[in-house]
Amino acid sequence: MALLKREEWQGIVRDVDWTLKYVDDEAVYPEWHSGTGKVPRDAWQKWEESYKVSYPDYVATQREKENSAYAVQSALKRSKAFETLDEGWKSATKMHFGGVALVEGMATLAELKMARFGLSPAWRNMSIFGALDEMRHTQITLLFGHEFVSKDPQYDWSHKAFHTNDWVTVSLRSLFDAMMTGANAVDMAIQLPLTFETGFTNLQFVALSADALEAGDINFANMISSIQTDEARHSQQGGPTLEILVEHDPVRAQWTVDKFFWLSARAFAALTGPSMDYYTPVEHRKQSYREFMEEWIIDQFMRTLSDYGLKKPWYWDEFMEGLDIWHHSLNMGLWFWRPTLWWKPVAGVDEASRQWLNEKYPNWETVYGDKWRVIAENINSGNMEATLPETLPWLCSMCHLPTCNANYGRDGKWRVRNYSLKHNGMTYHFCTKGCRQIWWEDRDNLNHTTVVERFLLGEIQPMDVPGVLGYMGLTPDVMGDDAHNYHWASSFSQSEPAGTAGGR
Amino acid sequence: MTETAEATETAAEPQLVPVNAIFADDFVEILVAITTADTIAEVAGKVAYHVEGKRVRARDAEKVVYHNDRALTPDLTVAEAGIAPFDHIRVDYADA
Repeated sequence: MALLKREEWQGIVRDVDWTLKYVDDEAVYPEWHSGTGKVPRDAWQKWEESYKVSYPDYVATQREKENSAYAVQSALKRSKAFETLDEGWKSATKMHFGGVALVEGMATLAELKMARFGLSPAWRNMSIFGALDEMRHTQITLLFGHEFVSKDPQYDWSHKAFHTNDWVTVSLRSLFDAMMTGANAVDMAIQLPLTFETGFTNLQFVALSADALEAGDINFANMISSIQTDEARHSQQGGPTLEILVEHDPVRAQWTVDKFFWLSARAFAALTGPSMDYYTPVEHRKQSYREFMEEWIIDQFMRTLSDYGLKKPWYWDEFMEGLDIWHHSLNMGLWFWRPTLWWKPVAGVDEASRQWLNEKYPNWETVYGDKWRVIAENINSGNMEATLPETLPWLCSMCHLPTCNANYGRDGKWRVRNYSLKHNGMTYHFCTKGCRQIWWEDRDNLNHTTVVERFLLGEIQPMDVPGVLGYMGLTPDVMGDDAHNYHWASSFSQSEPAGTAGGR
Repeated sequence: MTETAEATETAAEPQLVPVNAIFADDFVEILVAITTADTIAEVAGKVAYHVEGKRVRARDAEKVVYHNDRALTPDLTVAEAGIAPFDHIRVDYADA
């Protein structure tokens, strides 16, 4: 018997569904897992995506990808490529391995939730491929990271990071638990594939891949490029879900997109921003973080909003202003609190870098120049104690990142402003108005306390810096120190301040 | 010791008051532990300790503590000024 052509059987196979006889629909697709909300149940029958992958096609393609990625890795194992990489770049990869590997694992479960509770057979079918993708991403990221454990114990945090209470991990866990673990299928399809994967992973996987190649890290570029090819497919689950939600519940659609665009932007400012503008050696940078954000994220996000009839988020002006501040402040925070990290943070402010930063960000010298100069003066005079923290940065109750976003106020000054609120007898502080607003709307659904709150509630003992480092799982062989042995500081003793030309 | 006397003695003990603080134009708010018995001048010093000469260039100028956008008198105590745990305070140079 001749085999049917794929187009003759695939639609039937993909859209197989059951007419429930012994239980009602709510028992199989309960609201708290499926999340149809105001959308009529049969509206989901219109759910459609354009990839229409079959299992044999999927397996064949993935096999090729795997062979290709591991062939490159195998060839590079015999080279001295790793030894020639800049220490700062290695840190960007350690941050990625620890911050991403087990998030891919969480995404496997998220895809499986949609594969079980998604409201159309086509959606559930695609989510199965998504789960297989994410399983591969978890494995490949762990394997590539662990290859270097024998050379540097910080790579062990590729797996370990998400099993600790390091403040970076707590921040990411808070974001991804909200995005994936605690979300129903409808919200998740908009939060993860649409807002995060379509919106942001391009930045991590495409932009960082370009920087990796420039930095000579073919292995890392090879790995993340291999992952990105999957993202392009399974991220397509978001569009059809959003289309149906917008039609029946536009307020929920707008809020869900707005919230996770903001929270994703905060996380990327902490991880990708420093990687691109500080950790990648200045001579290898393709574009600034801001330029990448404008080209790869903002243009696309605005198109998405327009395509689905959504409005620009309420926080847009604050977000755009943050492109010149968030990641610079976070880089300074990562560096100053360097013992709390599983990588070696990069100051990234030698003379050539400062010149580059001032060209790309006209207010950089005004806001950050003299602070780095004071730090450098302490290093140059041998006063290292003054460059190490003796207390904690305050962490935002929403994004769990340091509250470190200066803005230019009506008082004519660049200052970090305090955004706080009182609720049930507690005072909460936030990094921005955006985080405060999201926290307030979601206040009954939040369950992660910040590391500072845990400290003040007595959960961390002893209540001092060593106690905090122990709580975070950091040991002396792993805790971060300057990636370049402080050599950059000497450039400050040879040059005058860059001045504030161009800054306001 | 009577129950009343014991309560009075306990109340007189300085209590720890962890606050969210920012110093001048520093880039980040920090956790600073002060006590109810500290004077506002001492609070300014405790906040400045973590920042001045470490990230913000030290200046020979008087420091002012602001709480709820109000400048506090240096000889008040934290208790008298009504600064509570988790409150935000700003310390800045008087001429800033």
